[in-house]
Amino acid sequence: MKKINAKNVNVAYGSKQALFDINIDIEEKQVTALIGPSGCGKSTFLRCLNRMNDVIDICKVTGEIYINDFNILDKKCDVVRLREKIGMVFQKPNPFPKTIYENIAYGPTIHGMTQSKAEMDEVVETSLKKAALWNEVKDRLHEVGTGLSGGQQQRLCIARAISVRPEVILMDEPCSALDPIATAQIEELIDELKNEHTIIIVTHSMAQAARVSQNTGFFHLGNLIEYGSTDKIFKNPENQKTQDYITGRFG
Amino acid sequence: MNTNTPHTVKSYEEELKNLNNNIVKMGTLCEEALRKSINALITNNADEADKIIKNDEEIDKFENLIEQQVVNLIALRQPLAIDLRETVTALKISSDLERIGDLSKNIAKRSLLLSSNLSKNLIDILNTLSENVQKQLKSVIDSYLERSSSMAINVWESDEKIDNLTNQCMQASIDFLKEDPKNLQNGTHLLFVSKNLERMGDHTTNIAEQVYFLVKGEYLEGDRPKNSEIGK
Amino acid sequence: MTKKEILLKKRYNSEKRFKLYGQFAIGFALLFLFIFLFKIFSTGFTAFQKTLLKVDVTYDKELLYLDENPTLEDLKDADYYELALKSMADLDPNATEEQQNQLKRMVSYIFDTEIKNHLLKNPDLLGQTSSVLLTASDDLDQVYKGNFPRDIPEKQRRVSDYQLKIYDQLVDDGKVISNFNFSFFTRADSREAELAGIASAVVGSFFTILVCLVISFPVAVLAAIYLEEFAPKNRITDFIEVNINNLAAVPSIVFGLLGLGVLLAIFHLPRSTSLVGGITLSLMTLPTIIIAARASLKAVPPSIREAALAMGASKMQTTMHHTVPLSMPGTLSGTIIGLAQALGETAPLILIGMVAFINTIPMSPMDPSASLPVQVYLWAESAERGFVEKVSACIMVLLGFLILMNLLAQIVRHKFETKWS
Repeated sequence: MKKINAKNVNVAYGSKQALFDINIDIEEKQVTALIGPSGCGKSTFLRCLNRMNDVIDICKVTGEIYINDFNILDKKCDVVRLREKIGMVFQKPNPFPKTIYENIAYGPTIHGMTQSKAEMDEVVETSLKKAALWNEVKDRLHEVGTGLSGGQQQRLCIARAISVRPEVILMDEPCSALDPIATAQIEELIDELKNEHTIIIVTHSMAQAARVSQNTGFFHLGNLIEYGSTDKIFKNPENQKTQDYITGRFG
Repeated sequence: MNTNTPHTVKSYEEELKNLNNNIVKMGTLCEEALRKSINALITNNADEADKIIKNDEEIDKFENLIEQQVVNLIALRQPLAIDLRETVTALKISSDLERIGDLSKNIAKRSLLLSSNLSKNLIDILNTLSENVQKQLKSVIDSYLERSSSMAINVWESDEKIDNLTNQCMQASIDFLKEDPKNLQNGTHLLFVSKNLERMGDHTTNIAEQVYFLVKGEYLEGDRPKNSEIGK
Repeated sequence: MTKKEILLKKRYNSEKRFKLYGQFAIGFALLFLFIFLFKIFSTGFTAFQKTLLKVDVTYDKELLYLDENPTLEDLKDADYYELALKSMADLDPNATEEQQNQLKRMVSYIFDTEIKNHLLKNPDLLGQTSSVLLTASDDLDQVYKGNFPRDIPEKQRRVSDYQLKIYDQLVDDGKVISNFNFSFFTRADSREAELAGIASAVVGSFFTILVCLVISFPVAVLAAIYLEEFAPKNRITDFIEVNINNLAAVPSIVFGLLGLGVLLAIFHLPRSTSLVGGITLSLMTLPTIIIAARASLKAVPPSIREAALAMGASKMQTTMHHTVPLSMPGTLSGTIIGLAQALGETAPLILIGMVAFINTIPMSPMDPSASLPVQVYLWAESAERGFVEKVSACIMVLLGFLILMNLLAQIVRHKFETKWS
């Protein structure tokens, strides 16, 4: 089932166009990877999906992006509600400089999702368990979040993102700042999370895209060159450029 | 799709080229072994036969070398798409080529055991069969070298012809057996030689399938054209 | 040596020279600092010593015009002036009337109150003799501290030969005491140097800074938050920013004129009060705090804002829940520094009238008061020798407060910065 449909999405920063006529359909409850060389527009596209490009003044987005049959680029779309349904994890782990508990509790608090402290405790515990972090932090929920290791911080950010039960999780190079073991833990987490969430991950590592995703899109200079099942893209891509990129023949 | 742009990392490009060259060299050695083994059989040349048996070591060495290269490429380069297909097919092709080498060695060994000269009829039929097998082998190695899927398909489809010729050869050998009880030893060897040639034909067809997969990224559909009825 | 080696040697040498220049420059600056501090301290430390004369006082009921069994109320109401005069005259039973006058002038004019307080502390002394410590006059105080030369002709001296004779006698008897000058801190300004204290100036400064803080901090922080987070980035905002930066450079006396013309002339607020002083200074401190607050808001890493926005927080929630709390250390330390600057301002306060002679301790910001730097100015203008040391002492107190405030700013910044770096 198609969760997200992007139609003719164009993005420009001032006079410089960053994305050209992107058309892509994202499958529900699967992991879709977006790959491509630096500056190709994959992060820009990712940020369109939760309207994070709004914070950049000179950025103009045109086209339509339908999520659950609702065009999120419409003026009437409530960005705050949208971001409750679409969570984001960033490249460098950025937990709030508050306690671990408060980090997770922030989202549900501002969206009014819990009625009592007991409910909130449960939300915190569930989120941390789903993010495979509970056992490591359950005795220090009231210590500050920035005191954890890099991998733990990123899992904390993932737990924070899933605390509001989003339908889609966007990940912008989530493992690029982590060591291989932490990376493997995050990849395992992604594998589990896809059972309940649609996940879109931007990554520089083709090996990672091949490992975690079911579908892959290849971006180059603002164009979506090829989009298909990960199987096909990495064994027998249709487009020459795609093949050149994934085999290291670029440049 | 072509692979004109070289890899950014030159050593990777070198390694793939090296692998390619090794397959071609191994194929050339096999071609030679086949040609010479039939020659030794027909001319009853014991020295030639001994040389062929010894040279099979070279072919085996190539198979080991190629296997090592393939394992290294997978571990160290994590090849994808076309590079992955190159690596995997090289492994399988070298295995088929090694079998072809072994079968040629077997023919050479049998030539040492054949006691007398053969009749012209038998020689002609053997020649025809072996020439066709040689042609198949050459074609398939060329198709690998040129990455031509059409040439590979030709080889694949021509296997039926090899089967027909083999049947003729085997029938002739059986007739030879029936002629004279003294022909039992020779006749039996000839039967095995025919069978070896047919098996070599099958291996070249295997290689053709690998070449097609290498170039197209898909598997050849359907059963290969076959004719396995003896006597037809 | 090869060319390379020559060049290398040159580089090392120029580095050594540069280091030397730097050390020299620092040494030069430190030298001036030490000279300044030394001068202040050496002049001012004597202000913390108070010279007292131990005088025997006989609490004669008749001189106090009291009944047989006076109550505490009666003791409080009695007039001690005559008793005090007699006590001083008793220092030299053979003194003439003129000399008795001189004896009286050897102590401060509150000597009768001191004698009264001594009795009130111990009412049983009524009818008995007791030693009372009386504050010496400022001239005698300076003699004790060695600031008045004794070998010049009497006409040029503030202390007469007779007074000196009595003084020396008292010194020999061990009746001249020097104690720590607590009254420097507890008494307000006075015409008499020996009684002058900084209490009113301290309280006045305190109220002024308080008013300044209460007005400027909220206004500045809110303005900074609006300008940094919410205002659209257009020419108007740039214009405002340029003007704020310029305001920070305006000479402080201009704000004094503003205070005079607007607060006093138009609004008719009470003159010389810390209220007016505080409002004037807050206008001056506003740009400083705005600039500090904006800088610390800018310094909050955008990743925190993005994380909050991505969680579905509105712009207001992101700013108030995350950006502002994280920027507080920088803002607070900038505020403290701004207030420290305001504490040392003199010119605008002089213009709005806080330069009047105030000899009472203000109870609220609406009472007339002086401030510490203005007090320094007033005392520096006085003719009496006794005020010289007090000027330096006042400067020391002022410096002490400034150092404390700057230290506080550093601690605040350090404590919070380590929390989330």
